[in-house]
Amino acid sequence: MLFALGKSLGSEEGFGEVKAYLTSPLAKFVIWALLSALLYHLVAGVRHLIMDMGVGETLEGGKLGSKIVLAISVVLIVLAGVWIW
Amino acid sequence: MVTNVTNLSRSGLYDWMAQRVSAVVLAAYFLFLIGYIVANPGIEYTQWHALFASNWMRIFSLLALVALGAHAWVGMWTIATDYLTPMSFGKSATAIRFLFQAVCGVAMFAYFVWGVQILWGI
Repeated sequence: MLFALGKSLGSEEGFGEVKAYLTSPLAKFVIWALLSALLYHLVAGVRHLIMDMGVGETLEGGKLGSKIVLAISVVLIVLAGVWIW
Repeated sequence: MVTNVTNLSRSGLYDWMAQRVSAVVLAAYFLFLIGYIVANPGIEYTQWHALFASNWMRIFSLLALVALGAHAWVGMWTIATDYLTPMSFGKSATAIRFLFQAVCGVAMFAYFVWGVQILWGI
């Protein structure tokens, strides 16, 4: 990611190269995979912060919370896929 | 013997706080970047360059990079002390865990320096 950032900022040619590379199906898939992991991490992390505030700390709440996290993550990951392709 | 000296701050509470503060910084940076890219489809080099050349974006990016280092350190420390234990590796557990954490530390430092070079090299 840093390599792509450095190249895209280094020169106009580098920016074009990165842009062209990101149109390939393999690159799109890799970006989608990375984005999916990050989105899930983000949603689960927000759940941690909410639980730190004392919400949903019971067994029942924990089970419900994990289901909500999975549901929101799936929606975001699908949206990310739609956006990339 | 106490061998558990590799947490970020020698205080679990402070580590806990660092993990959460860095998490909020990273979430803000990620959401901003994704939002910017979604809002600017077909962005061109001049605009992309201008964004990262601005002072506030350099500060924001550097803040995110520092937060990434701290966040990853605490996270990897948690994983290493949970799983790279004498229970699973016997006597060499501390050496294995130390090596693992050293690799993580070097990686984070390298990312930081690399990031600074990118941000200030443009």
